[in-house]
Amino acid sequence: MHFEHTEEQRLIRDMVRSFAEKEVAPSAAERDEEERFDRQLMFDRLAELGLTGIVFPEEYGGAGAEYISYAIAVEELSRVCASTGVTLSAHLSLGANPIYLYGTEDQKQIFLAPLARGEKMGAFGLTEPMAGSDAGGTKTTAVPDGGDWIVNGSKVFITNAGEADTYIVFARTDREAEKHHGISAFIIEKGTPGFTFGKKEKKMGIRSSPTMELVFENCRVPAANLLGGEGNGFKVAMKTLDGGRIGVAAQALGIAQGALDAALAYARERMQFGSPICRFQGVQFQLADMATQIEAARLMVYQAAWRASNGMSYSQYSAMAKLMASETAMRVTTQAVQVFGGYGYTRDFPVERMMRDAKITEIYEGTSEIQRLVIGSALTR
Amino acid sequence: MKILVCIKQVPDMESKFKVAASGTWYDTADLAWRMNEYDEYAVEQAVQLKEQVGDADLTVLCIGGEQVKETMKKALAMGCDRGVHIADDKSAEKEPYQIAGIIAEFARDKGFDLIFTGMQSQDRGSAQVGVLVAELLAIPSISTIVQFTFAGGRIETKRELEGGVKAIVRTSTPALVTCQLGLNTPRYPTLPNIMKAKKKELVSLPVTDLLKVEARQETAKLFFPEKKGGGLVLEGDVGPLADRLIQILKEKTGVLA
Repeated sequence: MHFEHTEEQRLIRDMVRSFAEKEVAPSAAERDEEERFDRQLMFDRLAELGLTGIVFPEEYGGAGAEYISYAIAVEELSRVCASTGVTLSAHLSLGANPIYLYGTEDQKQIFLAPLARGEKMGAFGLTEPMAGSDAGGTKTTAVPDGGDWIVNGSKVFITNAGEADTYIVFARTDREAEKHHGISAFIIEKGTPGFTFGKKEKKMGIRSSPTMELVFENCRVPAANLLGGEGNGFKVAMKTLDGGRIGVAAQALGIAQGALDAALAYARERMQFGSPICRFQGVQFQLADMATQIEAARLMVYQAAWRASNGMSYSQYSAMAKLMASETAMRVTTQAVQVFGGYGYTRDFPVERMMRDAKITEIYEGTSEIQRLVIGSALTR
Repeated sequence: MKILVCIKQVPDMESKFKVAASGTWYDTADLAWRMNEYDEYAVEQAVQLKEQVGDADLTVLCIGGEQVKETMKKALAMGCDRGVHIADDKSAEKEPYQIAGIIAEFARDKGFDLIFTGMQSQDRGSAQVGVLVAELLAIPSISTIVQFTFAGGRIETKRELEGGVKAIVRTSTPALVTCQLGLNTPRYPTLPNIMKAKKKELVSLPVTDLLKVEARQETAKLFFPEKKGGGLVLEGDVGPLADRLIQILKEKTGVLA
């Protein structure tokens, strides 16, 4: 057993960190303030650096790297801008990965390769107004019609929506079947008649990442776009989310690390009672707790990623990593604001944004409660 | 065209340095390592030249222990074709003439049309290795370049001199140039290229086969500068105060001539 990154992973971290600090960080506060997604910076540049298809084989336009490299990339982007981190994570884990996992060879060539190369952006539509944690409650329908499917319904809180070109959408194809069985997954492209976007959410955090509603009104989808076979949608969704959780866990880890780095730098500079506040034991204890929790989360995130890349079961591990990392991010960013005192509560310093950004990691791709459910049911099976 | 670029692995300059027990170098424990900044400009320029001429073979050379291979992989990921690692766990103990001697010994008779090096290393900072290599190979060298063009077998460079003065210098190849900040913006090694770099040729040669020259200098002592006393505080009326300040600036600094 060893805890060292490979040479390749260190080079990837250096490259992404350098890009993130030089190009992404300078506009993070402004994009957050303006709720502005910058496609050129937050997606096209990632494609140029080969980050949009990290884990997919070269034959499908990917880089053929493993999940730890993917986690490192999301972590480093999120360390300076959680919105950029989730753009990559939602695109790769949720938009592209289901096609890699369940697509036919044709679907991989037609849909996965342009996603992996970053010519197109991906998104994932599972959540509905009445079906959040309870995905089996999906109300969107798809009805066969002359070889095609007619999709009706809506999806809410969809990351990358509006900007993304390719969407994985879940719809009920069998109304008679039991809750989880009658659902199927479809690949639906932006611009398909009957597919429009609803309102853009005004969010607490990750404000530079667009979140919108997807609306389907008699949207005709070719039979060739059915993903993973009729009735297998729930399985496609759950398996996709297992991988997606590694992305969110890495995002949370990056946010936490960014907050610690900022708090540490500030504590060294900030003078009170004639001394930098990092000299005070009370502040040191806070920093020590933050660093220790981050390190524990980091080991869990990399372990889940390592299992995913080595063909081992990882559902329980990615749930644990996501639970640990997201709750760590919330605690650590809150402590970071405390270290900054009054300044931490203002938008003059990045920890205020990081604290707002951290909260979503406890909610999306399965709330902390759902993670505990996944872990608990695995333990007691 | 055959191109050689020489790089060095140096510590991250934000590290906390300690003087090693030997008293002649820094302690290397727990340091993070990077490619020497000036060598990144050299690699970038060499890759740009290769892209310009098309038919070129670009070798990256680095001297050091096993750990320098990581930095070489970065150069390979940036676009170098092959790597030559000169295995030497004690490269930090060698002075610039020995390092230049090793490189020249390797490069001799290999027919390199152009050799790129950094202007200096960020740790030793002698700025001697590049120009010594050229001297030992008996080829022209141009140091501290901030602009580079190649056409018709000749190179034209802009050099940076003291006081903001620049000079245009041209020469025919083979030649060696040492690269300064401002020459270019080094590219990021993309993720797919990092993956491909591990498949590129990277040979290791023992330093003992190439070290043919004796050291010409030795480091007697490495130490931190003594902490200087506090600043000078001038007090009094504005008029005489300004005169006094001008006098000090003239006498003790080069700010005012």
